[in-house]
Amino acid sequence: MARQLTPLGRVLLVLSGLALLGYGLHKYGVLDRVAALVAPDKRAEGTVSRDDFGAPSGSPSAVPAGVTPGSTRPVGGGTRLSRPIRVAIVTWGGYAGGIVANRGFAPNRNSVFGKEFDVEVELLVIDDFEKSRDAFRAGGDKGGVDIMWSTVDAYSLEYGGLARLKPKAFLQYDWSRGGDAIAVDASIKSVADLRGKKLACAEATPSHYFALYALTQGGLTNRDVEWVFTTSAVEAANVFKAGRVDAAVSWSPDVYIAARERQGGHILASTREASNLIADIFVARGDFIEQHPEDLRRFVGGWLKGVELANANPDATAALLAKSFSGIGLEDAKGMLQDVKLPTYAENRAFFDPEGSLANYHTIYKTSQGIWRKIGKVKDVYEPYQTVDTRFMDAAAQWFPKASEPAAAEFQFTAAPRGNAAPILTKTVSIYFPSGSATLDENAKAVLDTQVVDLAATFGSAYLRIAGNTDNVGSPETNQRLSRARAEAVTRFLVSKGFDRNKFEVVGNGPNKPVASNDTDEGRAKNRRTDFEVLPR
Amino acid sequence: MTGVREPVSQRKARSLALAGFLSFLAVWCVLSYGGILPEVILPSPTEVLRAFPALHFEEALVRSAGWSLYRVGMGFLLSAAVAIPLGLLMGTFPKVKHFLAPLVDPLRFLPISALVPLFLVWFGIEEAMKIMLLFVGTFVYLLPLVVEAVENVEDVYLQTAVTLGASRGQLVRHVLVPGSLPAIGEALRVMNGIGWTYVILAEIVNARYGLGHLITVAGKRSHVDQIFAGVLVILFIGVVTDWMIRLANQQLFAWKR
Repeated sequence: MARQLTPLGRVLLVLSGLALLGYGLHKYGVLDRVAALVAPDKRAEGTVSRDDFGAPSGSPSAVPAGVTPGSTRPVGGGTRLSRPIRVAIVTWGGYAGGIVANRGFAPNRNSVFGKEFDVEVELLVIDDFEKSRDAFRAGGDKGGVDIMWSTVDAYSLEYGGLARLKPKAFLQYDWSRGGDAIAVDASIKSVADLRGKKLACAEATPSHYFALYALTQGGLTNRDVEWVFTTSAVEAANVFKAGRVDAAVSWSPDVYIAARERQGGHILASTREASNLIADIFVARGDFIEQHPEDLRRFVGGWLKGVELANANPDATAALLAKSFSGIGLEDAKGMLQDVKLPTYAENRAFFDPEGSLANYHTIYKTSQGIWRKIGKVKDVYEPYQTVDTRFMDAAAQWFPKASEPAAAEFQFTAAPRGNAAPILTKTVSIYFPSGSATLDENAKAVLDTQVVDLAATFGSAYLRIAGNTDNVGSPETNQRLSRARAEAVTRFLVSKGFDRNKFEVVGNGPNKPVASNDTDEGRAKNRRTDFEVLPR
Repeated sequence: MTGVREPVSQRKARSLALAGFLSFLAVWCVLSYGGILPEVILPSPTEVLRAFPALHFEEALVRSAGWSLYRVGMGFLLSAAVAIPLGLLMGTFPKVKHFLAPLVDPLRFLPISALVPLFLVWFGIEEAMKIMLLFVGTFVYLLPLVVEAVENVEDVYLQTAVTLGASRGQLVRHVLVPGSLPAIGEALRVMNGIGWTYVILAEIVNARYGLGHLITVAGKRSHVDQIFAGVLVILFIGVVTDWMIRLANQQLFAWKR
């Protein structure tokens, strides 16, 4: 006797059928495949480790044989501009040189630019990043700008999107020196403590780059922290202030305020120590360079004359900044100037020369591009030489006759004992020495070149404690002596690269500071190491 | 004055809409292919189309759309759940309305972005904070519209009901609520639109997936084609959800027409 199913029964039957079907599809991986097709996940990020920084200094940005970059042609041709050069800037002390040269933002005949260089300049404050890019895309003839600000690390990220404009970097107006910083809570004393912590920063910005640099040099990778990405640096500081993350990378003054306002908050590291990492640069549109090269040459000359004036008269410069930027008082302006270093003409030349400074445009561009590529933010690869045009810098030499004189070292190091100062981070490197010897072979030198020279150059203002360590094989006294001799050898090598001897503190720990057990081969191998401790001044 | 409020047949309405859409496309094509605006400012339709595969396979476009839809949807539901009862109360009892007016009226002028730091403290950095931003963003507009909907129910109905001996509860249940619902349905449709305009702001912090987040990151990389593609997806979802709400309104309040 067949029984009619009730409507409810029918629904239940259909539902259980569907559930079975769904389970089956899931069990045999069909669902996952469908999901991967309909809604694929983001492309997996690669692991960024310390090996991604510090490309060997010999090879950056070599122009391949048979290629003549446009930037080798002499400056000439084109016409003089009949309107002011329009430049996008933000509220930031790094523009002091140009502001002094222009005596404010508005085009001004009665200024260094106008009187000495016969060029008119208009500085436009566009604090919103995307708006400034819109203005650059529009161009100076169409109400936008001819020149925009960038940082080398951000420029390598956005170059692909702007490549059709054939933009070229041509001037470095500042190094961030404290302008970017990492605020951390009380529990974090060094970079290694960030493992497993929540770290906030604005994605795909100089903050992000700084974070990656600090993490990797301190022995972590991008996978060792829990990232909390924000749209802007200000939000990253706010998230930290709200107590929702353990650390945040942001810029001045927000990051310092956030560190102060959160209980136990402090600054772990800033670009005051990582002094040669975030380089602010000007980028001009390709058509502007093509049409008005003489104006650009004069712009470079005038700006760098302004830098000389600004560096010589910090008080007057601060007053002018306070007057020019809206919402910035005199004290703020002084603080803004302390967060930057304005490179001179000679320093600019060294910066854009692939063989110039140890941390230069080419090394930073190449390194940062590699890192963005690894985490899936950059697809097309450009060589640094394609993105830069130094002809204007070279052609401005007539105004800077003293530039060829050797410059004084930027940072003065004293041999004062650093005592027990806590390092911001410790980079541990295994350098191979023959048994019982303190001689560096070519292999060891190559390791130092890639792992340490960049570290020492980037943390330009910081002291570096070089500590040799051994395993427990042999007598402690011999090991102690040997580890010190090896640290000395490393130091001598670094000094030969052009560093001040007083930058380094040499320590021989012998077997006294093991990081692993001396009972196994692997443990002993780990203990035979050199620690590079970055110490703030 | 022909044509003023002249009814248009459904068929004609459709062809007009199609014509409007095609002319928009034509303007886009002329501006981009014609070289009037450079491609770095206005990418061409082909370029925007070409951005989709990368967005789909590398940037999780569908998941992002899903998450944004979820956030806007939750903000929308929450805002309806609070604003409709409160608005009915305020529209029905002017005393309540006057009591709350100094609180509610200025809220409409509130720049929502200023609330972000506060919301980070209150609601954290996960979904609650994003949904609450969207809730507040739509709520402040929805509430006055609900109040107005109740107030616009014609007095004739109320008086008739009173004459027939309706109690206070009956007046609300049988006159004010049904009388204002069609206008409230229309208000909800507007809210859906406003919700989508806030999605970039809502995804300002810790949005692993999200259309707003996707657009922001594309901006940092100067990928204008991807920005436009993201915006197109938002427009598409907006139009579809709008159409769904309109359909629901038509079904529910068929008597109104």
